[in-house]
Amino acid sequence: MNLKKFTEKILTFKWFIIILVAICTIFFSYQIKNLSIDADILSSLPDNDPDATLLKRIGEKFGGNSMGIIILETDNIFQTEVLEHVRSITDTISFIEGISSVSSLTNIINIKGGDFGIEIGRLVDEYELPDTPEEFQTLRNNVLSNEMYKGSIVSDDGTATLIIFTLEDGANVNAVAKTVINKTGALHLPEKLYYIGSPMLATYISDLMKSDLTRLLPFAFLLIAIILLLSFRSASGVILPLLTAVIAIIWSLGIMLILGYKMSMISNNIPIILLAVGSAYTIHVLNRINQLRITDRNKAISMALAYVMIPVMLAATTTIIGFISFIFGAYLEMIVDFGIFTALGTFFACLLSIFFVPALLDVFTSEKRNKYLVSKKVKKSFLSENFLSPLKILLFKHPKYILTTWSVLIMLSIVGVFFIKRNVDIQEYFKKGNPTREAEGIMIEKFGGSKPIFVLFKGDMQSPEVLKKMILTGEYMERSPDIYTTQSIADLIAEINFAIAGVREIPDMQKKIEQLWFLLDGNDVMQRFVSEDLDEGIIISKFKSPDNEAKKEFARYMESFIRENSTEDCQIEITGMPFVDITMDRSLINSQLGSITIAIIFVVIIVGLILRSMSSGIYASIPIIAAIIILFGVMGLTGISLNIATVLVASVALGIGIDYSIHIISHFNHTYQITDNAKIAIEDTIMISGKAIIINVISVSAGFLILIFSEMVPLQYFGFLIAFSMLGSSLGALTLLPVILILVHRKKNNDHFNPGK
Amino acid sequence: MKRFQLTSIILIFLVFGVKSTTAQNADSLLQYMDNLMSAPKDKQAIVKIILTKKSGKEKVREAMMKQKGKDKKLYRYTKPESQAGISTLSLPGDVMWLYMPAFGKPTKISLLTKSQSFTGTDFSYEDMESGSYSERYTPALLESSDPENYVLELIPISKKSKYSKIVLYLNKTHNYPVKMEYYNNRGIYFKVATYKYAKQGKYWYAEEVLMTNLKKAHSTGILMTDIKFDQGLSDDEFRVENLKQ
Repeated sequence: MNLKKFTEKILTFKWFIIILVAICTIFFSYQIKNLSIDADILSSLPDNDPDATLLKRIGEKFGGNSMGIIILETDNIFQTEVLEHVRSITDTISFIEGISSVSSLTNIINIKGGDFGIEIGRLVDEYELPDTPEEFQTLRNNVLSNEMYKGSIVSDDGTATLIIFTLEDGANVNAVAKTVINKTGALHLPEKLYYIGSPMLATYISDLMKSDLTRLLPFAFLLIAIILLLSFRSASGVILPLLTAVIAIIWSLGIMLILGYKMSMISNNIPIILLAVGSAYTIHVLNRINQLRITDRNKAISMALAYVMIPVMLAATTTIIGFISFIFGAYLEMIVDFGIFTALGTFFACLLSIFFVPALLDVFTSEKRNKYLVSKKVKKSFLSENFLSPLKILLFKHPKYILTTWSVLIMLSIVGVFFIKRNVDIQEYFKKGNPTREAEGIMIEKFGGSKPIFVLFKGDMQSPEVLKKMILTGEYMERSPDIYTTQSIADLIAEINFAIAGVREIPDMQKKIEQLWFLLDGNDVMQRFVSEDLDEGIIISKFKSPDNEAKKEFARYMESFIRENSTEDCQIEITGMPFVDITMDRSLINSQLGSITIAIIFVVIIVGLILRSMSSGIYASIPIIAAIIILFGVMGLTGISLNIATVLVASVALGIGIDYSIHIISHFNHTYQITDNAKIAIEDTIMISGKAIIINVISVSAGFLILIFSEMVPLQYFGFLIAFSMLGSSLGALTLLPVILILVHRKKNNDHFNPGK
Repeated sequence: MKRFQLTSIILIFLVFGVKSTTAQNADSLLQYMDNLMSAPKDKQAIVKIILTKKSGKEKVREAMMKQKGKDKKLYRYTKPESQAGISTLSLPGDVMWLYMPAFGKPTKISLLTKSQSFTGTDFSYEDMESGSYSERYTPALLESSDPENYVLELIPISKKSKYSKIVLYLNKTHNYPVKMEYYNNRGIYFKVATYKYAKQGKYWYAEEVLMTNLKKAHSTGILMTDIKFDQGLSDDEFRVENLKQ
């Protein structure tokens, strides 16, 4: 293919290209009004994981997904004033539209038995709140002696209480959660209130996401603009890279929305990532055009495009591979979606830099600008003289030292790799001091955990055998150090049997159970424990430890029990967040290894094919592989864990970071073909492509570093680590790669390197 | 000046006079309704209770109901099969006895709170209380353009009530309730009962009552069939010992 002819065609159709881009941009911008956020973690769990599927099904069937919790914390719950406050919170939220039921210390039904018969009343009489020490002692005893209240209403130390509410089907989760926060906040209670549970968490995360997006994006935009201004010192140098990035963002988000996707915790960062990545291609195109204009201003655009088109396309392809590689092995669907749409955005950015940027430049180029460009030559050499020239000298003088330094760094990093920790615990996603993190902490410390565990029983829920097995399972679970308490319909039946018959156990006769059911029928609490058809029931529990080994240990502990006790008439299955965490943790390693292997193989092949030399492909991948080893080393040595966001870093870094090597290799090959002198080719490459690389790495890193200010901890590390790997891979491309080229070619053409000899 | 005084006196008389007439009217209207409801000496009927969930799923219970005077009421459940034989006996002074045949002995139930649902229905224990409306609520007549019904506002006397008010639509001709709208203690309209009255012999009775919880979209229908009045039910029928039959 004649590249020059092709580039000339681009300029011929410049108006068509500009109008087409404008129309598409207007169309996709219009779609963005439909942007909505889905911060529900459960919905992102994959359908092919049986634990996740069962967890989702139980959440939907028994209403766990729509349960919110308010934690009220103070020095002593057992005070009239505090109970009054619990009552006002209970009253306030019961009347919020979208809330179907509320249960708290002041409205729980209490069925008590004795010689006199049974008493059906409230745990606390909301109209005559207890006020004497004796009354409070009775209340304390009632709460702590009842299995159903232990760890679910008041903490053992009496300093915290829970107000649990359920949302109606189809309620607007965000609106309800916000009303709960606003209305309870407006009560101005002296006690501390925390909010937790799926609806509250999803709303909170979605708020953080919105704040990240609206706060960080303009900041990233401004920062990249300043860097571009300092680098190019021209309006087009600032506007064009940012314009292409913004258009690429609009197109990819527009398509995402047309296809019915929502913003997730991960895809929320697509705009910032595309701003950083998408501007890079235009930077390279502009850099080449500016450089050629100095010599031949009329043909500069088409000539530059002919030079730079292949490396830019190649760079984009490798970045796309980096993002696409998440499809293989990623556990969470939101990561797959993120990979696809960021890849799409990168593709758009590449297309725009090749078609749209030259078209625009050709339209707006004037004699006046050319004059300005010529005068710029002097200013532009600042970077060359102060950094690139000394670097060039260093490379030629001490290639072996540089190689040794890299080798030592890589060896050290390999040691660090073995110390990498993994973390899938949601608590760690929030900053220290963040209310959600504190709430999780209180749940673990005072209410026996925050991670839900469900044991599903399939069978006749009124059969003594099934209910007895539920009691047995509950007792077995409570012997695990990480399970504080369990609740089920069986506990409730045993409790009522105690009130009626004086024994706290499941009656042997089914008839008795059916009749005890009469007292429970229609109670709101029933739908949390048994299905409408009474053919399924669950044990609800919470898991305490965030430690992955403890979760695995518990999974093994339960597996043997379930195997022995599950029968045809009483099938037992277990699931819960700890089980999902185990799979997610395992998938982190698979996902990491899978995505990075795929990315490396494809990148080497594609680079090799396009540059028509496999050795070029391998050379190009050396700096980035070195940078990735160092990245993992740093993660291991500094204790930054592998989590759902940092697991993305290596592939993204590989995809973007290899661009630097591609530019170096292709520039070298190109010049080497013309001059047939490796030394001149290397020098030329460092002085010209080196500059674009430095500008690029600074602007891309700045974009990613903005994520340090994100509200979500994994994204902070994601931003930092990408910026770090960009630095690593660019340094690799500017030092390690040239040194390898120098050493390889010095052997072959010693005279080029020592012309004097 | 004199004329002004006279006018004022007439005005004051008119205002207070009218007001006291209205209050009296409201009181007596509610009293009429109570009288109509408690007119039979005793009654017995087959009661069908239909619970309908938001999903449209229905649950049906059936019981034989016997009532003597205002506050002796016996329900003996016949359906569903699993709950057949369960009986509840309400006696004066908020005493309730529950008999479950599988356990073989009656259990006394003390109701410390009346706001919760009555055995899974949309009626609360407060709604099922036997005491007359006049004893439990202060009525006021509301202005209404409804040609067939009086509209009364009932304010609970007990501070423990979960209702802030009930708006009662009372048939002008026969003094039976047509509809009751329940407002919770935040003043939100959340529950409605509609009544279909029929006459048998000299007595009017609620042949059908439908209570709907608007928030939960859950409803309970009560249908009475085979109703018999003034059968001369003996007090023995309402003895705890006789629950076990």
